[in-house]
Amino acid sequence: MAEIYRFLAQSMRYPTSDWMQADYFSILDAFLAELGWDDEAQALRQSISDKTDWLEPIQVEHTRLFVNAIPKVVAPPYGSVYLSDDGMLYGPSAEKAKAFYREQGFELVGESDIPDHINFELEFLALLAEEGKTQEEELFLQKHFRPWFPSFRARVLAEVRHPYYRVLVNLIDFFIREEL
Amino acid sequence: MALNLTRRKFLQTASLAAASAAMSGCFARQANASTPFVKKPFTAPGSFAGTKTAVGGVCEMCFWRCQLVGKVRDGKLVKLEGNPKSIDNGQSICARGNAGVKLLYDPDRLKFPMKNVGKRGAPEWKRISWTEALDECATKLKAVVDKHGPQGIAIFPHGSSAKYPMTFFENVVGTPNNSEASFFQCRGIRDTAYVATLGVAPGENVDMANAKAIFLLGGHFGENVHVSHLKRYLKGLENGAKLIVVDPRFSASVSKADIWVKIKPGTDTAFLLAIMNYLIKEGKYDKKYVAEHGKGFDEFSKGIAHATLKWAAKTCDVPEKQIKQVADMLAANAPNVSIHPGRHVSWHGNDFQRERALACLTGLLGAIGVKGGFVAGKGPKTGKAGWPKPMAEHAEKFALHKMAKVYKFSPPGTPTDLIRNAAVTGKPYAIKGFVAWGQNPIQTVPDQALTIKMLEQMDFVMVCDVMPTDITMYADILLPESSYLERYDHIQKGTQWNFADPHQQFISARMPLVSPTAADHERKESVWIMNELAKRMGYGEHIKVKSAEDMINTMLKDANLTIEQLVKEDGIHLQPGVDPYGKALDVEFHSAELAEAGYPAIPTYVPVPEPPKGFARLVYGRAPMHTFNRTQNNTWLHNEMPINPVWLNDECAKKMGLKDGDTIELVNQDGVKSRTSSVVKVTPGIRKDTVYTAHGYGTMNKAMTVGVGAGIDDQSLITKVAVDPETGAHGMRNNFVKFIKNGKVLSIPA
Ligand code: SF4
Repeated sequence: MAEIYRFLAQSMRYPTSDWMQADYFSILDAFLAELGWDDEAQALRQSISDKTDWLEPIQVEHTRLFVNAIPKVVAPPYGSVYLSDDGMLYGPSAEKAKAFYREQGFELVGESDIPDHINFELEFLALLAEEGKTQEEELFLQKHFRPWFPSFRARVLAEVRHPYYRVLVNLIDFFIREEL
Repeated sequence: MALNLTRRKFLQTASLAAASAAMSGCFARQANASTPFVKKPFTAPGSFAGTKTAVGGVCEMCFWRCQLVGKVRDGKLVKLEGNPKSIDNGQSICARGNAGVKLLYDPDRLKFPMKNVGKRGAPEWKRISWTEALDECATKLKAVVDKHGPQGIAIFPHGSSAKYPMTFFENVVGTPNNSEASFFQCRGIRDTAYVATLGVAPGENVDMANAKAIFLLGGHFGENVHVSHLKRYLKGLENGAKLIVVDPRFSASVSKADIWVKIKPGTDTAFLLAIMNYLIKEGKYDKKYVAEHGKGFDEFSKGIAHATLKWAAKTCDVPEKQIKQVADMLAANAPNVSIHPGRHVSWHGNDFQRERALACLTGLLGAIGVKGGFVAGKGPKTGKAGWPKPMAEHAEKFALHKMAKVYKFSPPGTPTDLIRNAAVTGKPYAIKGFVAWGQNPIQTVPDQALTIKMLEQMDFVMVCDVMPTDITMYADILLPESSYLERYDHIQKGTQWNFADPHQQFISARMPLVSPTAADHERKESVWIMNELAKRMGYGEHIKVKSAEDMINTMLKDANLTIEQLVKEDGIHLQPGVDPYGKALDVEFHSAELAEAGYPAIPTYVPVPEPPKGFARLVYGRAPMHTFNRTQNNTWLHNEMPINPVWLNDECAKKMGLKDGDTIELVNQDGVKSRTSSVVKVTPGIRKDTVYTAHGYGTMNKAMTVGVGAGIDDQSLITKVAVDPETGAHGMRNNFVKFIKNGKVLSIPA
């Protein structure tokens, strides 16, 4: 599971040619095949094999969804934006996530890093999985990740223009969803 | 989608081992694939929960620059406070100052360099690296310089971090086409008019705290908030100073005034001339001061002899009695009177004359260098750092106003209109490269359509800012700057705010209260950005300072200080000060210099256009919780005043069928409608020929998710621009509006 979380975190990073290459897509493709998400796999394959410049559209879409856009950033990838009243970064929920990291013996490297960025939370889940802390992993998902991820995902799905990010948020959702 | 497949099942069935191996292989070659976490044994909470005080903050929510400390808990800025050691703002900061925290953590802030792969005005952004961004900016700007000469570049800067880039383009590249909104759409007229009259730029240097009377022309303190400035004003009132406020509207200052002169907008100079003429005729002026320091007083008194009380009463639509009352009140309290020079003074295109008149009135009352009068504090000295001036002469030669022999009293830089017209017409030369640094010309400069036309014809547009303001939509390359809470950039110095207190001087410097770096953005400070650009453009040899920090340290050296030392002294260095009183200034009542340049040698009233029938004049001002567009996206401040009500006279409203709180739009004399709506504030506290609203609302940039479309953007209704003949600055209050309710246009009865 650690690898999967890490794979998902990596997939949410800014797409650059130093990691987003054929071997990356073959893993993703294999993943989707295992899951039986054939339509998704198909759409994704098409979007990258149709054009010579397949990377730039993904970069533009990443920027529009998560960084800077007109009319507005679609889905800032931070928990507090969804969990605090005023939609600002670094709200109380971010501080709680940081406290959780610490209790598990982990500290963010940058002193002013915003703790509840989606990549940090996924990386952290990878670390917990690696250490076999299944209970803590579930607790973190329940208390920190699931409370905001669905709103984030909904915003992405409502506005997404590239199949890659539709697949990706659904994939994250699949792996973090609560199982009854 | 195979909905029945659960995560658990998947994990059991998938050949995970193979997948894992492939995954690690795939990312191994990537350097930054490492985890953002370090292992650290858990320490009990409390050991890291303490709040630290970071010193050395200097506020930039407005230009007043109060000194701050930041309460930082665990790397996060939780609160801003006035620096208790400050002898300027002290522990006080205003609502906007407090709300700086919200700017720091605004999710809409610019984070990475961006390339526009769409169109100007309808951008599609692609995040790019600094190297790519800087390379592209340098190549494109250099290409403009090579093809069209240095003058082919225009820069629109604002704020202290934009000074370094501005002087680079002016002095090193050699373009004169620099337009600072703070001069050409705000205070430049005041500065050059006072220089022409008293020999100094006035700042807001009136000793209101120790005045016996305070005279405000349009100043609406309380709505306009600058902490130590307000302290002086309130101290003066507390000490019993008489307050005279000239304003077509019942402003916050009017509510405290002894006399409210409900003047007809645009006629202020006539009012001032009549006061001076009366004082001279009655012999109620400071004869000794005028004899010793007045120049051309006889020509002046003869030249304004026409300005009788009766004439002014008619011109200004105020009672004759009241003008006399004001004049007598000023004379009775002279020389301890504060004739406030104002700040935003680009109103009607006849503003240089009004500012000249204010300076002359100050001299006539002998209110210079004395308690309560026009007195500048004597601040400490610090050094200079920045760019040499190898191309300053070239810039001078291509200055548009000098080539056309107009606007001979222009403030530094080039009048905005000349730049815009040259760009649009290509005459007298082409302007094809555009740099905006911290300024949002879409909202600061009137006539948005023309500004957009100027931008569209550019070969290249580069914008550097903190927030995605309107102008960022027009950028080809967009650069993210660190905010004032995360950077070094400015030395703030001065004296204690009240000259009645023991004389002291202070030196402080803006220092970061929180770290500028984090994994989720790549914002940089302006000196670094500019140096990198300069190197790539081939001007590397002129670089004198390595970073903003280096620049500050160099400037502090002359005062025998370092950043380190300042931190030790809690962010503010204090030293004994000097008595500021006693310095007289010569007064050019009649100015030979102005006469020679072809302008009126004595202050002259120039009538301004009247509202057409059915329209009222649109005037605008400040709200205490906003610094115009700059704070519109701040949630705290937005919640305090989400929209800008439009003031309308109650009798007019009744005839128009408008009730307080009705939703309305505005349409101006050119048929331009406001893009958005606001509500009407029905009040007896405004003239019938005038409507008023707070400036800076209704941004059209949807990236400003909080402020977008909230309230009315008065700037969009300022389509007619008056240009002040002496300075080339914009007068923005010669526009007239009607109301629209439910799609129906309503005329305003006179
Ligand atoms: S007056 Fe307010 S916004 Fe302006 S510098 Fe002071 S605290 Fe900041």
